[in-house]
Amino acid sequence: MTLFHFGNCLSLAYFPYFIAYKCSGLSEYNAFWRCVQAGATYLFVQLCKVSEPFGPHKDVSNEFMKATVDLADLLGLHLVMSRNAGKGEYKIMVAAMGWATAELIMSRCIPLWVGARGIEFDWKYIQMSFDSNISLVHYIAMAAVVWMFTRYDLPKSFRLPVTILLGLCVYKGFLMELFVHVFLLGSWMALLVKAVLTGAISLCSLFLFVTLVHSN
Amino acid sequence: MFEEASEVLENMLKWSFPLSLVLFLVLVCPLRAEAAHEFSVYRMQQYDLQGQTYGSRNAILNTEARTVDAEVLSRRCVMVRLIDFSYEKYQKALRQSAGAVVIILPQNMSTVPQDIVQQFMELEPELLATETIVPVYFALEDEELLSIYTQTQISSSSQGSSSAAEVLLHTATANGFQMVTSGAQSKAVSDWAITSLEGRLTGAGGEDLPTIVLVAHYDSFGVAPWLSYGADSNGSGVAILLELARLFSRLYSYKRTHAGYNLLFFLSGGGKFNYQGTKRWLEDNLDHTDSSLLQDNVAFVLCLDTLGNSDNLHLHVSKPPKEGSPQHALLKELETVAAHQHPDLKFSMVHKKINLADDTLAWEHERFGIRRLPAFTLSHLDSHRSPERHSIMDMRPHVDLTKLSRNTKVIAEALARVMYNLTEKGVSGDLQIFTEQMQVQEDQLASLVDWLTAQPRAAQLLDKDSSIVNTLEYHLNRYLKDVRRHLVRADKRDPEFVFYDQLKQTMNAYRVKPAIFDLLLAVCIASYLGVLYLAVQNFGLLYGFLRRVTAPRVKQH
Repeated sequence: MTLFHFGNCLSLAYFPYFIAYKCSGLSEYNAFWRCVQAGATYLFVQLCKVSEPFGPHKDVSNEFMKATVDLADLLGLHLVMSRNAGKGEYKIMVAAMGWATAELIMSRCIPLWVGARGIEFDWKYIQMSFDSNISLVHYIAMAAVVWMFTRYDLPKSFRLPVTILLGLCVYKGFLMELFVHVFLLGSWMALLVKAVLTGAISLCSLFLFVTLVHSN
Repeated sequence: MFEEASEVLENMLKWSFPLSLVLFLVLVCPLRAEAAHEFSVYRMQQYDLQGQTYGSRNAILNTEARTVDAEVLSRRCVMVRLIDFSYEKYQKALRQSAGAVVIILPQNMSTVPQDIVQQFMELEPELLATETIVPVYFALEDEELLSIYTQTQISSSSQGSSSAAEVLLHTATANGFQMVTSGAQSKAVSDWAITSLEGRLTGAGGEDLPTIVLVAHYDSFGVAPWLSYGADSNGSGVAILLELARLFSRLYSYKRTHAGYNLLFFLSGGGKFNYQGTKRWLEDNLDHTDSSLLQDNVAFVLCLDTLGNSDNLHLHVSKPPKEGSPQHALLKELETVAAHQHPDLKFSMVHKKINLADDTLAWEHERFGIRRLPAFTLSHLDSHRSPERHSIMDMRPHVDLTKLSRNTKVIAEALARVMYNLTEKGVSGDLQIFTEQMQVQEDQLASLVDWLTAQPRAAQLLDKDSSIVNTLEYHLNRYLKDVRRHLVRADKRDPEFVFYDQLKQTMNAYRVKPAIFDLLLAVCIASYLGVLYLAVQNFGLLYGFLRRVTAPRVKQH
């Protein structure tokens, strides 16, 4: 039944993306190729990130530096969104969907294919699939924050919260590792914390977005 | 310009990306799962002797693990610990057509209580006698294996005794284990050569001297070949033989002590398989060559078998020696030396007629007896059926070094008294020859026994290039002349012995969940996706709510 397990994990990982694509109305705008373009930009950005050399020691400062490089993610998202004409929501959704799908395929498909099909059972594959769901929400929130950051008509009072949210988005991975290391969380607890954190970030960014869009 | 470049790049990526992904997936296809635990297992003996098959016939297994108390054992791998092992449980597993049996032995055998060791030693021949197609493996216990065993035991014993709901919950949390071996099916090894080694010390004083032959078989036997260390049987015999070779070669190097006897030392292989090495050596020497030391004038043949312990010493003969023969002289000298020099030693002669109707011969001297050479075996065991001769429990602690060196001394003294005719010359029984520079070196014996018991010496594992055979040859070369190898290969058409391979395997234990768990998980995932779909559909509600929350604030401006 191991192929079944692989099927379980894949559906858990991929179906939410499908649901999001269908239900957000993107399919009406024929946004499929635009999403693929966004995905290609993701690949390009990852390649650039890989070419940055870092020291071999795995300590806090190195991790911090690595997370700082994730700023390139933001640049990539901005690039995608600037090339797409249309309403703010459309831009955000296209960029986030493409980006998250590319990440899903690149970083999760292979481990699932190789690992979940085997005889040995491990909970980590289900966890990986859940993680991809959380990533989707995370990228939507990140794209929204980037969009807000680059608006010329962003009110002064919003500058600070948006910047903080931006920072949180980028360093979320780093924060997660810190939590796990300090509190010695189990894998399921870490997943829960990650979900809560992403939920909080996305709620805040949604709040700010609604305020911005409907304030003028 | 930047725009154009990015367009080109994007187009490239658009098309090459899916292709490379597909290619990568195809390449990565062969599955290599990591196991929960990987450990070495040693298979039970499998061999044919004189047409009769013994042992377990099968090597591969890919079955789920259970312990003995589980109700359903068929096509499962039954795991038993040595402490819980009994013949009835084994029979029960076989009757229910189990897929395999794995017996877990403690890492340190000395922690096992004596009665369990004794019980297992007696069971070993019975295990081998029941020929079975079920693969039987032995594994050494370590922490992970023990945890696998306890988990399997918990899940095995709870089956069939709880309600459906409990069973359902149990499957979600339980860890089953799938045991898989990586090797192929066992098959007969063709053209296996059993090696025996001989060397000699020529006596002084012309031709036609009488010959004394000293024999010890160097292989070991147990229920699992890779675990047969054979410390006492017959590591002790080999150690004594090499020490005697050293002592007598020393005596022979001085003209004054060069005796008028030829000494022929023989380390035979395949001893535990009905003395194949000795049998063929005798045929070659007596039937196929014109002149050999064995043909002319053999005083007697002394076989050494299991002399590493206990205060008993038995001389096994197939017919009592006649008065005046060299055999009788040795018997008398052994009695004298034992009585005068080692009063704690109890020496006796055991008479057992050769029974040719038996499947296998009892002692090694019977091979010589069949060819009408005067022979006897010296051993501290009183019966050839004693379980210590065929047990994997026979390890280094079974050899007591002081008793071993005492036995060496007794044999050396008795031999010297016969060879130099000391009793007739009136030398008293108290005189010890092997003292000071000529004394039996206990540390030499210790290092020999340690080396011999450091690795398994089953006949199936020692081919002619093995390091043990080479080292033994080297040892003999240091003290003896004319050291020669003698090979025995089974006859092609009617083989006396057939060995099988795949005796050592790597077994993988994979954590598995039962099939119903996957179904359960699918149901859970489907319900989660359903909830998610509803949430996304109604996302507009959240959006509207937030809008209403933020709108009044704007109006207040």
